[in-house]
Amino acid sequence: MANFNIDSQKARTYDAIVIGSGISGGWSAKELTEKGLKTLVLERGRDVQHITDYPTTNMQPWEFDHRERLPKEVTDANPIASRCYNFKESSQHFFVKDNEHPYVQEKPFDWLRGYQVGGKSLLWARQTQRWSQFDFDGPARDKFAVEWPIGYKDIAPWYSHVEKFAGITGNKDGIDTLPDGEFLKPHDLNCVEKYFKEQVSKQYKDRHMIIGRAAHLTDPQQIHLDQGRAQCQSRTICERGCPFGGYFSSNASTIPWAMKTGNMTLRPHSVVHSVIYDDKKQKVTGVRVIDANTKEMMEFYATIIFVNAAALNTNLILMNSISTRFPNGLGNDSGVLGKYVAFHNYRASISGEYEGFLDSTTDGRRPNSGYIPRFRNVYKQETDFLRGYAAGFGANRITYSDPANIGESLKASLLEKKYGNWSVGSHMMGETIPKESNNVALDTNLKDAYGMPLLKINVGYDDNDEKMIKDYIEQVTEMFTNAGFKNIRAHDGHRNPGNDIHEMGGVRMGKDPKTSMLNEWNQLHAAKNVFVTDGASMTSTSTQNPSLTYMAFSARSVDHAVKQMKAKNL
Amino acid sequence: MERRVALKGMAAAMGAMVSLPAWASGWNDTSLGKVKFFAPDQAETLKGAVEAIIPKTDTPGAGELGVATFVQRMVTDCYDKKVQDTFAKGIDNLDAQSKKAFQKSFTEVTKAQQLQLLQEVEKSTDPDTKSFFGLLKSLTIQGYMSSEYVMTNLTHFEFIPARYHGCVPVAKG
Repeated sequence: MANFNIDSQKARTYDAIVIGSGISGGWSAKELTEKGLKTLVLERGRDVQHITDYPTTNMQPWEFDHRERLPKEVTDANPIASRCYNFKESSQHFFVKDNEHPYVQEKPFDWLRGYQVGGKSLLWARQTQRWSQFDFDGPARDKFAVEWPIGYKDIAPWYSHVEKFAGITGNKDGIDTLPDGEFLKPHDLNCVEKYFKEQVSKQYKDRHMIIGRAAHLTDPQQIHLDQGRAQCQSRTICERGCPFGGYFSSNASTIPWAMKTGNMTLRPHSVVHSVIYDDKKQKVTGVRVIDANTKEMMEFYATIIFVNAAALNTNLILMNSISTRFPNGLGNDSGVLGKYVAFHNYRASISGEYEGFLDSTTDGRRPNSGYIPRFRNVYKQETDFLRGYAAGFGANRITYSDPANIGESLKASLLEKKYGNWSVGSHMMGETIPKESNNVALDTNLKDAYGMPLLKINVGYDDNDEKMIKDYIEQVTEMFTNAGFKNIRAHDGHRNPGNDIHEMGGVRMGKDPKTSMLNEWNQLHAAKNVFVTDGASMTSTSTQNPSLTYMAFSARSVDHAVKQMKAKNL
Repeated sequence: MERRVALKGMAAAMGAMVSLPAWASGWNDTSLGKVKFFAPDQAETLKGAVEAIIPKTDTPGAGELGVATFVQRMVTDCYDKKVQDTFAKGIDNLDAQSKKAFQKSFTEVTKAQQLQLLQEVEKSTDPDTKSFFGLLKSLTIQGYMSSEYVMTNLTHFEFIPARYHGCVPVAKG
């Protein structure tokens, strides 16, 4: 019996464990297995195999019973998921249903999750901008949160590393607030977008409008073909999963790549309960898992642990990892675990019309749009709020048909496509300031179906966010007006925090163990063989879509971890 | 601060995990039996109405393209009971108006008479009648324009465009 136990323990021992298989966990898995480490990847949801498990990906529009609208039964049962733009008939199976995975909202917060292999990497917006040094300088310059322990030069080579593999389309624009990367050929801007770009450059010396940088294979290279991926076909139904692998997801890219090394064991239906800290050995030795099907608790062991459960679940796991040494959560000597959570302010948008280029239109479809990098408070503080916002921008030729009357005349007019003006639109992506009062904690009473404590989310907007919304509306309205756009309308959708799906922080990086959880290598100050490289690690949020930075952190952190492991320091 | 938590139905959700997952059903249902809101005669009236709104010409009309089933399914699955009742009442009223004007049910009168009856309904100022007709017409247009026949043969939908050109001349004619 004793031998059996030893054998069983051996069978459950790996070099590394990765918690989560989403955009950052996939990268941790790829880098660890490529470096030869036997790696266990734990995913709480079901497996989703590339192509095979994309049930709607080849369905024509008319094959959907409700033409992508969800039945009332579904929207009534899932008000949180239903507020996500991407939750529809063709993609609903990749979203967590509200009542299956409850949480406590101290303030309204839309927590959108994808519990499956690949996580939300199947559903993301695929926008991939690098941070600049201006972004890393934010907290220190403007005196909020804590100083970042790294700068742009530390992460730049790792941005290059992940961009080359993931495949990023973009244009080298040479803007110092938005560093250029390793780009595949850019998507076209359309006539009105090009016109607006010129107008913006003419009228403002430090404002720009560029084509978005996105994780799409516009021009696949050998490294992408080696992954079994092909050129993006511009179908623009990415949220169903792409059979071409035209956009980057864990499912199409990092997970099968890691599998191919022979070093990865992927275990779906594995809800991580906690990270094990052995008080006798004085170190982290593994992970406790609840099998989602049998509810059986089991343990797995490894020399190093990567926590990539997505920002808020990473917080939850660490808070639930209690030991004599860490009674308040793993690595939480500072007391900052779960605090200084932030997100992106997406509340405002602006629409308008342009009456030029009426002899022109677009042809085909484009899974990307224009982008206005942050221009506010970059070189110095110039407004009554801190930081700034980036903005999306796009133009489309309006087509319509006249639905007057009924009968044969209606039929004839429906089939006669008419061209209207161009519609133009923009939405804000504002930096929010991490604060102690925006936080998450474990509920002391309520538990989920696995016996895990429910997460209590206490995150809201503040005065800085309100001022920023006002400024975005003023500034972009002015830019639209100066460009000759008409019928300009601003809209504050008052969406809940979380609906941006860019929640970050709670396990922040910093120089000082007294005020931060992680060091400059995304490594727990107080438990050196544990690494957090997802959104939880973010000290501040900047304005960029965050996934590319999590990918770069993961690759950089694995490189450091494996070097340390080989030097027997872990 | 108000504490809001959604725990309801968790047991049911757990049960669902061991049987066929919810995402595996629903999207491949082509049976008409699932649509059960309308009585058979109401369904026939609806079919006549969608065909009158978008009739057969040198190409098929909405009736032939199965748009009535689509309209019924949308009303049944995507709207609340009040809208459903108003819609059913609107269908019954169409039949009643037909009997009053032509002494025949809506499905038995001529195409010209059907059109005439619908045009009368379109002119109505009664709020319920207006909302019935508005929904009937918009769902008929949606169902017709998103039908396989129209998207394939008339509007030439491209499932895989494989291109984006940002600035091309508007096609003439």
